[in-house]
Amino acid sequence: MSANVDPVAERVHGVADGLTRLIGEARSARAARDEAAGSDGASAVCAWNHFENIPTFYNWNNRPR
Amino acid sequence: MRGISAVPGYVVMQPTTLCNLDCAYCYLPFRALDQRMPVDVARAVAASVSPWAAANDRFSVVWHGGEPMAAGRAHLAALMAPFTGVEHHIQTNATLIDEDWCAFFTEHEVRVSVSVDGPAARNGARVNRGGAPAYTRILAGIEALRRHGIRFSALCVVSDPRPGLATELYGYFLDLGCDVLGINIEEQEGVNERPNSHPAANVQAFWAELVSAWRADPRIHVREIEWTLRYAGAVLDGTADEVLPRQLDPIPTIAADGRVFLLSPELAGFTDPRYGDFSAGNVLTTPLRQILAGAAESADWVPEYLAGVEACRSSCPYFGFCGGAHAANRYFEHGRFDGTQTNHCRNSKIRLLEGVLDHVRER
Repeated sequence: MSANVDPVAERVHGVADGLTRLIGEARSARAARDEAAGSDGASAVCAWNHFENIPTFYNWNNRPR
Repeated sequence: MRGISAVPGYVVMQPTTLCNLDCAYCYLPFRALDQRMPVDVARAVAASVSPWAAANDRFSVVWHGGEPMAAGRAHLAALMAPFTGVEHHIQTNATLIDEDWCAFFTEHEVRVSVSVDGPAARNGARVNRGGAPAYTRILAGIEALRRHGIRFSALCVVSDPRPGLATELYGYFLDLGCDVLGINIEEQEGVNERPNSHPAANVQAFWAELVSAWRADPRIHVREIEWTLRYAGAVLDGTADEVLPRQLDPIPTIAADGRVFLLSPELAGFTDPRYGDFSAGNVLTTPLRQILAGAAESADWVPEYLAGVEACRSSCPYFGFCGGAHAANRYFEHGRFDGTQTNHCRNSKIRLLEGVLDHVRER
């Protein structure tokens, strides 16, 4: 499904400016935490946190709880 | 994303079926029984896990239950012993954490995630076997972690997502001191038959409010927000097709008796005339790596589930964000695995993404 015909992607692009600001704030917040991408991950504390730096997805909520 | 990977990102271990709590929303069918995992099961799992751990920078073994601490320190240590080169994680209700357990976590370098649903009034579903509220004991366990400087994550079940709740919850978890927070909207699965259909506007407003609260003080890594922003950023960058993994992670759960359940831990302990016991094999008779190598045909329900993933791909505009409805949600909501959108999809994927967009739009 291309971005041009994807209604979800269209809505994302429709708030691009605000999203870009929010993502920038999230990036700064992440850098302020020990889990920063590119770190050795030694401070990652939970089963799903460390996957932030690993290209998997399902773990984020196909999760044990 | 096609098919199932033969190598998981982590394995889930059930050291005992027992839980000392009896939460109203729990999906586990045998939580009143103390069926403990024999060490032979752990040895069999470790035999497959060790090469995976050696080949990857990080590989996790997640001790889950029941309440994994109900297995006791000595038994848990014996189960952990066969594993080398892995990170141990534990998902716990925290009620049994004391000084000795904190020493155990430190000695074994166990990463701790606690289950708590917010302040006392939000933990009404969390009771012991006598029906008494568990919150005081949950908090005592968390305070022990804090005394020992053990960092922790938190998982919070939200049964009634609606406006006005998220700000309170986020403030609570800021004060609690967790590093990471995951929000699980209650799911209808396993022995929990409570309905999980909520007004869309309420759920969406809950997520939008959570983003607002988090944005005001983003000290905590909130799983749902981080991943939504990761996807949204990828859409803006034109790289959304790269967000999903190339193959599904099998996420094997190893039950106390050695049976292996793929993709959804919640299927463990159930049977169905069509699907049998849902297991993909038993590590006491077949190596885990062999079970996963044949994952796509390992249990009767798996091919049907893979067809369901393709149905999601072809019909749902949120597929790139979600990757397809989860197996257990399909089964327990639809009675089969090849249906598509579930209430869980709506509550925890669709309304989440739309709530984040609402937040941005309204700011």
